Amino acid sequence: MRGRVNTALVTGGALVGLVVLAALVSFVWTPHDPTYVDAANKLREPGGGHLLGADKFGRDTLSQLMVGARTTLYVGVVAVGIAALLGTPLGVLAGMTPRGWQAELVMRVNDLVFAFPALLLAVMLGAVYGAGTLTAMIAIGVATVPAFARVARAATMQVMVTDYILAARAAGRRRTAIAVRHVLPNIGSVLIVQASVSFAIAILAEAALSFLGFGTRPPTPSWGRMLQESQELLFSTPRLALWPGLAIALAVLGFNLLGDGLRDHLDPKLRRVRAEG
Amino acid sequence: MPSRAGTPTGDPLIEARDVTRVYRRPRTSLTRPGEAVHALKGVSLTVRRGERHGIVGESGSGKSTLLRLLCALDRPTGGSIRFDGQEITGLPERRLAFLRRDLQIVFQDPMSSLDPRMRVRDIVAEPLVALGRPVGGRVAELLEEVGLPASAADRYPHQFSGGQRQRIAIARALAPRPTVLVADEPVSALDVSVRGQILNLLADLVDEHGLTLVFVSHDLAVVRHVCETVAVMNGGEIVETGPVDDVWARPAHPYTRTLLQAVPTLEGLL
Amino acid sequence: MLKVDRLSVHAGPVELVREVSFGIAPGERVGLIGESGSGKSLTALSLMGLLPEGVTATGTARLEGRDLVGVPERRLKDLRGRRVSMVFQEPMTALNPLMRVGAQVTEVMTLHGVPAARARERAVELLGRVRLPQPAQVARAYPHQLSGGQRQRVMLAIALANEPDLLICDEPTTALDVTVQKQMLELIAEVAPALLFITHDLAVVASVCDRVLVMYGGRVVESGPLREVFARPRHRYTEGLLAASRLTPRGTRLATIAGSVPPAGHFPGGCVFRNRCPHATPACESEPALTGDGHAFACWHPHG
Repeated sequence: MRGRVNTALVTGGALVGLVVLAALVSFVWTPHDPTYVDAANKLREPGGGHLLGADKFGRDTLSQLMVGARTTLYVGVVAVGIAALLGTPLGVLAGMTPRGWQAELVMRVNDLVFAFPALLLAVMLGAVYGAGTLTAMIAIGVATVPAFARVARAATMQVMVTDYILAARAAGRRRTAIAVRHVLPNIGSVLIVQASVSFAIAILAEAALSFLGFGTRPPTPSWGRMLQESQELLFSTPRLALWPGLAIALAVLGFNLLGDGLRDHLDPKLRRVRAEG
Repeated sequence: MPSRAGTPTGDPLIEARDVTRVYRRPRTSLTRPGEAVHALKGVSLTVRRGERHGIVGESGSGKSTLLRLLCALDRPTGGSIRFDGQEITGLPERRLAFLRRDLQIVFQDPMSSLDPRMRVRDIVAEPLVALGRPVGGRVAELLEEVGLPASAADRYPHQFSGGQRQRIAIARALAPRPTVLVADEPVSALDVSVRGQILNLLADLVDEHGLTLVFVSHDLAVVRHVCETVAVMNGGEIVETGPVDDVWARPAHPYTRTLLQAVPTLEGLL
Repeated sequence: MLKVDRLSVHAGPVELVREVSFGIAPGERVGLIGESGSGKSLTALSLMGLLPEGVTATGTARLEGRDLVGVPERRLKDLRGRRVSMVFQEPMTALNPLMRVGAQVTEVMTLHGVPAARARERAVELLGRVRLPQPAQVARAYPHQLSGGQRQRVMLAIALANEPDLLICDEPTTALDVTVQKQMLELIAEVAPALLFITHDLAVVASVCDRVLVMYGGRVVESGPLREVFARPRHRYTEGLLAASRLTPRGTRLATIAGSVPPAGHFPGGCVFRNRCPHATPACESEPALTGDGHAFACWHPHG
């Protein structure tokens, strides 16, 4: 059991760490200017000064991937941040008053947003406010709110039936104090897991939007747009699709594994078994 | 309902009159409302100042519902509950401060009644913080009173045994210097070898602070050791009440007799 | 019939049960008493081959000459539910919520080769035997439609389905109300072919068993005929446990055992009870053997 828990956590952590590292390093150093168009290096094969080769404009692929990691993380952080900041309070509120009309309203609106495809929302927002990274992030974030609200509500309802909540009420604690002091710390682990899974989904969504041309705009490098630009050369130069594709797959896998590993690691029940075992 | 002479003579502190509580099960059909469950069917109970009052019943008897109502953690469907002469039913939380100060609860399972993510210090101080009172050195004082070292304050509940956790819960209950202690099956989740420690501790604290004790249990034998008065509950009603020794020796209601006969004992073997 | 010899249970380096030996004769009802962490449930689970992952049993346990410990899972499957079966504490989680009760009783028989039609018939008989009223109707019910006591009777019917040689009950009435418990205990005592009854409740064991084993810290510290052990306990732990179980009149202090049960792996060496024992001396640092004929105990300073 112990081995398996750590495998997911360590592998996920390592993959996510790699993406974060690439993004951080790209601020101070990249092998080449990722946006520098150099006709001389057009479709250059890997090797020499270009470890992973260059694209049809002669831009260095590795540099683009590194700066693309930045975009990916940026989108993920903002989208998940929006979702967590809006979804958690709504879910906690709904979970603390399961029979009240507020809860009913929150959850029905939630269902409505949930039923609406995130990509469609992003495309619509893009059409109205102009496509771009910010629009994509907001759209992905708003579309992820219901997932957070649901998870937070379910976890809150579990916490609300425990005796320590009853004890806090008997001690005279008000609702906000109970929410902040007891509910949030106890649903924290569930939210962290949800955040890492949502992060993976946000990465995919951003890639898909950029691929469709509704996400990150040129010249800012993005993994999704790298894929799109490689489309026409898929058969002649498949590596141009391979590298961003691999980056997306590994990042998504990393965040999913991290979520899984955290779920087991943070579960107090499992931890207790380990402590007593 | 048979009542008996010789009840304690302190003035009434908790008075419940004709209390009913109806729950509605979640609806299973679109056209009909959920089924109604009558958890309490007109219960009247008086707890006098300084008394040790037991409430005995099995699961579904309504004893837990009654307890929640007495502590204003739930609202009755009908009837009245007075605490120290003041009606508490229907009062909003902000006007219950007097009750939250004077009445404290110890729950059955000290595993679930202590927030696993809080340090013992914060758990014990919680009633004081909620009432806006200074904490100061009170936590160490309380821990000492329940027989725990002051160093326990910096640790988390899961680092303690069941008996020690129940001591922490008792320390929390004593924090605002209440006049009434409500104990909900405080020893039924504990090992036999520590049960005596907790019951002795409760008895000492009740004596020392002149507390009124409401002690809920499924075990009439434990209630007999702790309390003077007992109310036996079955099917949402109090079927018998009186001095515990009388009820024990001469049960008047058939249910009480069944209950007494069913309790396995070691008597006769020893 | 059942012969357990130096059964030990380990979780990694931690010894949870240490060299437990005992026997059960046909028709005999043996109680295994212990508090949480005593190793009583692990002892029972190792006889069923149901130890959790990472926990291993050593030593021997033979039922009618068949080995129960250290044999491959495939062989155990034949024995489990047929030669030896078990009733657990929580009847709600032990039953499949999506399957009718009758089908669950039938299943344990067809698994062991009884023809389906015959098994269905017998399932209703069995539900009647555990005194469920209108057994044919109960067979068609789902677990959630039954009360806790009824569900535990269904568990008993499942356990008895293949006429096992030995029935193991692990706290079968702890989750039940006292009035329901009494009937359940009477039923178990009546129908068990041979019984290993695990509980923390001395009074419950007294109403069911004729012989007891007292466990503490993974060891059997005392064993013998129930009346004798309870009337004249020799081990200081048994003495303390019996004293703590006695509820003296109001206003008097209850007898207690100092401290609390240590977590697994934190019991002292030598006599496992010595850190809580009022009679402990340096002699207790070496391990006392379980000695005595019939009424045996492992204590350097026995009572009486």
